[in-house]
Amino acid sequence: MRYVKLPQENFEEFFNSLKKWGIVYAPVKKENIYSFQKVQDVSEIALDYTRTMLPPKKFFVRPKDEMLKLKEGHWEEANGTEPIVLFGVHSCDIHGLEILDKVYLGDPVDPYYKKRRENSIIIGISCMPDEYCFCKSLGTNFAMHGFDLFLHELPDGWLVRVGSVKGHEIAWGNEELFEELTEEDMKNFREFEEKRANSFQKHLNKEGLEDMLDLAYNSPVWKRYERICLGCGNCNMVCPTCRCYEVCDLWMNAYEAVRVRRYDSCFMESHGLVAGGHNFRPTRLDRFRHRYYCKSYFDPSAGFNCVGCGRCDEFCPAKIEHVKVLDEVREGLQ
Amino acid sequence: MTFQTHDARILEVKELTSREKLFTLRFVDPEINRKFKYKPGQFVVVDIRGFGEFPISLCSTPTREGYFQLCVRRVGRMTKYMHNLKEGDIVGIRGPYGNGFPMEKMEGSTLILVAGGLGMAPLRSVLWYALDSGKYEKIYLFYGTKAYEDILFRDEVIHLLKHGEDMNCHVKLAYEVESPSCIYLEKGYSPRVCKGVVTDLFRGENFDVENTYALICGPPVMYKFVIKELLDRKLSPGRIYMTLERRMRCGVGKCGHCIVGTSTSIKYVCKDGPVFTYWDALSTRGLI
Repeated sequence: MRYVKLPQENFEEFFNSLKKWGIVYAPVKKENIYSFQKVQDVSEIALDYTRTMLPPKKFFVRPKDEMLKLKEGHWEEANGTEPIVLFGVHSCDIHGLEILDKVYLGDPVDPYYKKRRENSIIIGISCMPDEYCFCKSLGTNFAMHGFDLFLHELPDGWLVRVGSVKGHEIAWGNEELFEELTEEDMKNFREFEEKRANSFQKHLNKEGLEDMLDLAYNSPVWKRYERICLGCGNCNMVCPTCRCYEVCDLWMNAYEAVRVRRYDSCFMESHGLVAGGHNFRPTRLDRFRHRYYCKSYFDPSAGFNCVGCGRCDEFCPAKIEHVKVLDEVREGLQ
Repeated sequence: MTFQTHDARILEVKELTSREKLFTLRFVDPEINRKFKYKPGQFVVVDIRGFGEFPISLCSTPTREGYFQLCVRRVGRMTKYMHNLKEGDIVGIRGPYGNGFPMEKMEGSTLILVAGGLGMAPLRSVLWYALDSGKYEKIYLFYGTKAYEDILFRDEVIHLLKHGEDMNCHVKLAYEVESPSCIYLEKGYSPRVCKGVVTDLFRGENFDVENTYALICGPPVMYKFVIKELLDRKLSPGRIYMTLERRMRCGVGKCGHCIVGTSTSIKYVCKDGPVFTYWDALSTRGLI
């Protein structure tokens, strides 16, 4: 990997140079919530954000997404996508995108997702954990790939890791903005990472997690939480790896229809419903447990289905904490 | 493209029962028609343009080329729309999807097809395939149905009931609701036709368990009773195949609705199935 330094005084110019690669989206603060928004000026960005409400998946698996358009009785592919630059993506979200890649780029390839992934540039940024983060426990607190450039905060600028050919091209095109790294920079980088590693307040015990959960299928803990859970599906919407979608056709006018897919949630009663009215997950208990099993599934090629971003905790109206539920289930077995 | 469907023309619509219709279709594009190969147990997604999509199993056999058939039960908005279609109308089709039954692996063996209700549709594909290829030692069809009027492919089933023995095909029928037609059948073909449930049909049958495969399809409640019957006769779990139903929206393992299993065993019914063995059911909670 190539490492270079971006001095603070060049940051704005570097940021402005990104606009020629596509529409730049970056975390912006609105009241108490951060979200990825279109930005024009560096002053709009909240560089020290904790987490956005919707993860960057919203650019690739959109909340409501037109797939096909009906023209004269035949489907045509909906319009293409514009190139985008996602600026300031945290490591956990980069891992989240890689999990989505496994699904959507696996055979058969999802053409919409693929096109958008190819048309995007991912620029990561270092972060400090808050009380919800547990990415360190899942090994997603540091991204080794899945980005084009990754910016690590230094006292006087940024240590930049170049992670792809596109990343090289960006750095190459702005060669005058970058410097070589010094020993001092490396020391600062190590110090920052050390401080960060020691700042995690939440830890998930993932030792034998998937087996442990499998054994705890009838745990009373599920039943207790079933009563607390509102079944709203918020955790699904904000999760960077949740990807269930529903498909429907919508008529725009008398002659034109679109086939749309939109986020679905396994907390909805309709999720497991089949024709004729039989439901394979009829109770909230079934649905609550299902989400934990799905998130804690370990895929040998992609790891756990959870990246420890803490969104499901922060945005849960019933204040259910993911790690606490799993810990309680584990305790119940002992 | 993955989600684009191909035009298929309805060649024939046949009313099977008051709720089910059989649609015979062929792709409009001869090239696609030529390339369309499938296995018994696979399914397609039917696209009613402007209404939506639904998955449905293929009930014809790949041994009879040039067309394919779908047995559609009227249960919702889209199937109701489908039922109103006539010969010559066009629907979109994508697929085939799923793993299908391992027909080649089972060659030379005895097949026991256990169907309950609409479960007859995917198993009809197996039945025809086995009869056409002639590569199977013996074929049993155990079919449990509600009433005489609900027997799917009634002509074929009754034909095989009469003449199946000549083709090494043994058909047995269980019905729940008595009617004059059932009593007539029962008189003619007792004990192969009886009042009761599908597991009653196992009575008096002996199989060479080393050389037999069971293939099951029916309503969710049926599986565990049929499997118990088979296990009692010492059939190995690896020789029990079942095809399952789930809400398969995309058909290709993306939309997540058909995910089953727990943290050690997540599976997509649409692409890892819909055909599973009993070993899979033992290691995947929630499969049956």
